[in-house]
Amino acid sequence: MNSSVTSIKLVLLGEAAVGKSSIVLRFVSNDFSENKEPTIGAAFLTQRVNIGEQTVKFEIWDTAGQERFASLAPMYYRNAQAALVVYDITKPQSFIKARHWVKELHEQASKGIVIALVGNKLDMIENGGERKVAKEEAEKLAEEEGLLFFETSAKSGENVNEVFLGIGEKIPIKKPGEQANEQSGLRITDDQRVDLTNSVNGPVRSAGCNC
Amino acid sequence: MDLDESYVDDRRERANEPLYIPPIAAEPTTSINLAQTLFQPSEFDESLEDQLAQSISSCDRRHPLVSTEIPNVFPHRYDKNFLILTSAGKPIYAMKDGDGTIAYMGVIHTIMNYFKLKEDQDLRCIENGDVRFAFLDREPIVLVAYSARGETSNELFSQLDFLHSYLLSSLSERQLSKIFSKRQNFDLRNFLESTDFENLDEICSLLCERLYPDALLGALRSLSMKKSHRAQLHEAMSQQLTKEKDLPRGTLLYGLIVAPENKLCSVLRPKGHTLHTTDLHLLFCLIFHRFQNLDDSQELWVPICFPKFNANGFLYGYIKFLPKCNSILVLISAQKDAFFNLKSFADHLIKDISSNGLLEEIHKAKGFKISDIPAPLVHHFIYKSKKHVQYVMPELELHSDTEPEQLIELERKFMTYYQQIHNSVVRDDGLAFNKSCLNFIRWDSDAIEPSEEPIAMLGLGWITPKFELYLICNNGVDDKHVIFESAKRIISWCRKHESRLFVNEGAIF
Ligand SMILES: Nc1nc2c(ncn2[C@@H]2O[C@H](COP(=O)(O)OP(=O)(O)OP(=O)(O)O)[C@@H](O)[C@H]2O)c(=O)[nH]1
Ligand SMILES: [Mg+2]
Repeated sequence: MNSSVTSIKLVLLGEAAVGKSSIVLRFVSNDFSENKEPTIGAAFLTQRVNIGEQTVKFEIWDTAGQERFASLAPMYYRNAQAALVVYDITKPQSFIKARHWVKELHEQASKGIVIALVGNKLDMIENGGERKVAKEEAEKLAEEEGLLFFETSAKSGENVNEVFLGIGEKIPIKKPGEQANEQSGLRITDDQRVDLTNSVNGPVRSAGCNC
Repeated sequence: MDLDESYVDDRRERANEPLYIPPIAAEPTTSINLAQTLFQPSEFDESLEDQLAQSISSCDRRHPLVSTEIPNVFPHRYDKNFLILTSAGKPIYAMKDGDGTIAYMGVIHTIMNYFKLKEDQDLRCIENGDVRFAFLDREPIVLVAYSARGETSNELFSQLDFLHSYLLSSLSERQLSKIFSKRQNFDLRNFLESTDFENLDEICSLLCERLYPDALLGALRSLSMKKSHRAQLHEAMSQQLTKEKDLPRGTLLYGLIVAPENKLCSVLRPKGHTLHTTDLHLLFCLIFHRFQNLDDSQELWVPICFPKFNANGFLYGYIKFLPKCNSILVLISAQKDAFFNLKSFADHLIKDISSNGLLEEIHKAKGFKISDIPAPLVHHFIYKSKKHVQYVMPELELHSDTEPEQLIELERKFMTYYQQIHNSVVRDDGLAFNKSCLNFIRWDSDAIEPSEEPIAMLGLGWITPKFELYLICNNGVDDKHVIFESAKRIISWCRKHESRLFVNEGAIF
């Protein structure tokens, strides 16, 4: 049995109905629901993933995209080590919103936060829907801002696990006590790096590494 | 028809029309004044029985036709609407907008201006035949009810207040005034979310289509469960509180376990504090309409304004679906960052109550049936204990193949009876005619079609300082002596099983 559990505090942000809860549902329960209810407030979930010798426990805040709850967002990202900024590749407006979130995170969140930009609902393109946010445009933003970038489908499951594995790979693993004040919630019992050998489709990595 | 007028309190009979429902239940003719005689089951007051016996003359000579199904006395469909608009006359919401209701908003606005309601009187009613309009002015919001169902002003008022409270619970008074102080002409529809409109729809449907006496009675429905199990639940809550001494003051304000169908299972609360029933109704609506599909992998942290507690601020609810019993644990805090404190409290509590099988016990608590009580000829009843501000009623007995539409039809039918029975013992302003009051009400009509049975329905409303009882008899029953005996049996039964039927003090800290 391995005894080392690393916790990763992660927050999902993004416009309403882009599929944040669906991505989490896919990751946590490998399930999808066609008519998922809008999130009210925020939902907290956890998921453990075994990566080699290491168990990574994701502590996930799935926030509500409704504008009215936006003022609560800082509470959820303040201590987060990672954030998924999600948009819907068929909704340009949601990409604009994603830019805002990235900006806000860089200004307000903890310095070392790992951000993944996630374009969701990829299946809709594959089923003849019209893409409204070019992949290149998103890649460019990711590069400029030092983000991980993925395109996913919560519906088909495509690339969803890869997002979380990509995040896990990027979170710096430090010795216990190290930087305790900056990442107070991170309980690290091992100084080994997370081994993410089972990450299949490597994420499109950006140049600016901020660890 | 051969009926003795002296004991027919509300004759619902018309020669030409097959069925007629007066807009407002007539003032009861045989309400019995019980002001001095508080109900005590052991020494049931003779005088009351005498009085009642006098008012009940010999039985009807007709052959009673008793059936297990009760007829519908309320056939109208489009007889009610709710409208919400801003004080500047901008539409916000209409329950039914089929016939361009939004177009009426201007008229309503004009009427409102004409009224210019006084500070102390924010409700106005207009009656026109069977139809009643009620206006509730809650600057910057105006709410209007239109009803042909014979509801009292007070009933319409409390329904409008419920809708207004919903808006506050979602936005808070402060946010609302902030929006409108900047721009009186603001279109609030742009600010409300789709979920708000869905919630308003749900609340309207509860108020108009379902057997939802909660608002009418200002009470919560409680889950019947074994006294010892409830005590164990409360004990577990109290113990957990003692263990978590470092749970900072004010972090946990209130805790609840709510079973399916919005039944209150147990309560954790500070000494001397209770939440207003309207606030709890709103919370319960939210729980069962928004969080129906929760699974136990997620925990929610939801800001909610409890308008009767503090209309200006938000509280925060930790909401967790309890495995094995389909119930929901709610912990309420005044602090927005208290989630993890409450989560730890909840984790320990849930571990505790699932290890000793209490969750299964909540699941097994299945309510009671009318046949569990020796109350002959009674079809259904609602018993409210005033001390607990809670009510119980027998489970509806449905065929396994009941369609959802049939269920709604059935619930609506029950609710109509109860509304009319209730209205026969309260005044238009919602107060009882007397401190104690008992009244029979009756609905009669001949069968419209040969295949249908004639309606001869009898109901009883009985209000005392300690309880309220509303009961519906089987169709065709008209022996008031028997019904009165049955009513007394129901009351004795409810009192005897009080600690099983109601959540008493709860866990107090
Ligand atoms: N086709 C398709 N539909 C999706 C996908 N992900 C989510 N949806 C649908 O999009 C709708 C919104 O999904 P949610 O997961 O509730 O979106 P959200 O971002 O959590 O929304 P809020 O909680 O309101 O912020 C739902 O009807 C989902 O079924 C996807 O990958 N493909
Ligand atoms: Mg969501």
